[in-house]
Amino acid sequence: MDFMMNVILSSVRMATPLIFLALAELYSQRAGLVHIGLEGLAAIGSLTGFLVSLITGSPLLGVAAGAAVGILVNMIYAYATINLCAEQIVYGMAINIFAPALAAFIYRVYFGAGSELVQVGLMNSLASMLGVTPTSFIGKLFLEQTPMVYLAYALVIFTAIYFNKTKSGLNFKAVGEYPKAAATLGINVVGVKYVACVICGALAGMGGAYLTTCYTTTYTDGNVAGRGFIALAAVIFGRWSAGGVLLACLFFGFCDALQIRLQVSSFGVPYQFFQMIPYIATVVVLAVIGMKKAGPKGVGKPYLREER
Amino acid sequence: MKKLFALLLTLAMVLSLAACGGGKTEAPASTGDSKEPAAESGKTYKVAMICDSSISDGGWGMACYNAMIAAAEKYGWETAYSDSIDQSAYYDNIVSYCDLGYDLIYAPGNQYTDAVLQAAEEYPDIAFALLNGAESTPSKAANGNVTSLLPDATQIGWIAGALAGLMTESNTIAFIGGMELDTTKGKYEGYKEAAAYVGAQEGKEVKTLDIVYSNSFSASDKGIEFAKAMMDQGADVFFGDASAVDSGARQAIDEANAASGSVKVYDIAQPSDSLGQNECIICSQVTDNSGLVGLSMEAVENGTFGGETIYGTLQNGVLSVGAISDLVPTEIAEKYQGYLDQMTDGSFMK
Repeated sequence: MDFMMNVILSSVRMATPLIFLALAELYSQRAGLVHIGLEGLAAIGSLTGFLVSLITGSPLLGVAAGAAVGILVNMIYAYATINLCAEQIVYGMAINIFAPALAAFIYRVYFGAGSELVQVGLMNSLASMLGVTPTSFIGKLFLEQTPMVYLAYALVIFTAIYFNKTKSGLNFKAVGEYPKAAATLGINVVGVKYVACVICGALAGMGGAYLTTCYTTTYTDGNVAGRGFIALAAVIFGRWSAGGVLLACLFFGFCDALQIRLQVSSFGVPYQFFQMIPYIATVVVLAVIGMKKAGPKGVGKPYLREER
Repeated sequence: MKKLFALLLTLAMVLSLAACGGGKTEAPASTGDSKEPAAESGKTYKVAMICDSSISDGGWGMACYNAMIAAAEKYGWETAYSDSIDQSAYYDNIVSYCDLGYDLIYAPGNQYTDAVLQAAEEYPDIAFALLNGAESTPSKAANGNVTSLLPDATQIGWIAGALAGLMTESNTIAFIGGMELDTTKGKYEGYKEAAAYVGAQEGKEVKTLDIVYSNSFSASDKGIEFAKAMMDQGADVFFGDASAVDSGARQAIDEANAASGSVKVYDIAQPSDSLGQNECIICSQVTDNSGLVGLSMEAVENGTFGGETIYGTLQNGVLSVGAISDLVPTEIAEKYQGYLDQMTDGSFMK
């Protein structure tokens, strides 16, 4: 039972960056823009969060800066795909190549060729802010998390309400489904797509910044470690709904945490079997429930106003 | 006209792609600090290092980079490096440096063996120093231009294991591995047997948790999770061979110590003296990589490089122990020194 409780605590920690990235992708796809460049946005967000947190001493400012930089970089993608109607997958890949390289470059320029391990202070958890040390499982689960974790879950709830219960959310979804019909109703399609890109950039940047302001004290190249792509899979798993996306991210986090704990506590079994678990689970679940029919129909197609 | 223009642009793009090389590599950052050119001919020798982890990872990459810089300063060589390289790009990076006319390529790890052997065959005039290369590797190089620099993995494990066996109070210790390399396995076995032996001398039955692999030298978040899981299993002394993953583990250990109010869980660092970097570090196993690199540089200048294995042991001073923290009580430090002396004169565990 102890083992399971520790795995659940681990999976909540490991799922949070995925939730941010998956929500970013959800907003983007709901507006008809498939964004495979989350990895790059998270990388530059993570570096910015690290640097700003180091310079100003405030992890919160680091997160805000990460979001801002994510928006900036995503504007390149936005302009290319919305105004110039370029291929979304290609530009997403371009961001994936450009942004991590830029992050590595900035890191090298700022710290020089020096090789000392630079560590930064992390955000305080709610428990330490309240001055308590929870010992029970429920206490640890709900109190020993940084504010970003609570923000992630709040965003999920907000997203679910926004898309399903508000008029603005419905308009947003319409832009992703069939932009021409949305345009005839007077919805500013291009405007909504830009807003989607801003939200996507902000959330992806925050997801990356979470890694260096709330999780690890150091920045290394490649610390995003494929989470951008897992987030993409999570959106498909979750059938493009906020609640589904949350469950998918928790599932991935669970598999990853399980893999690590199993490696530690079992003897003699080749570790490669455990490392396979998250990916095999992904393949199985995608095969079983990953039908693309649930997604926005207009995703991936450029919006050309003059077309009939 | 438009077609011609497009063709010219395509040509320019193809040429620039060819010039840039592959993947996620950084442009070689040359720190031209040649104090005096080494050989009588006035030639400035150049050494390049490739590394799959970052040179600021707080562990392996950092130590190897510093070793190269120190040796280069002593011998008056120029240096360059490429770090955070993907496995698929090892060979391409080595070849880029070979094409640029570097005299010595320094590859700090067993994982570069295949790439080094392949490049060595194509560039017979360039020297390749493979840290942690196997004893059989130099003989596999047809041109005889590969040397293995082999710090004794078992002794490294002993150095850490003896202290772990003395310091552990829960009788459970842990080891975090990066990739499944022979040298990592050797270090783990040495760690396990030394801790068990020393523990037995103290009347304790010290158990080492099964080795875990992060399969990455840069995923510090995995280090955090591994350390937490291992601490839940009762481990109170950690050692590792995983660069930035070890840094993540130390972060988790520091957090756990802070939460419990006192430093109860310890970490032994490697391969450079890292005392003071994290609160939990009680000691470091130090490998004088710069000495090994320096020997390679000397051999290149004298023209005697290649085809051999240069060992690093406690006996020849390449392996040593770093500063011991105040967290280690004096009696334990003295006993530890006793065991180290036994290792040096060959009577340990006999």
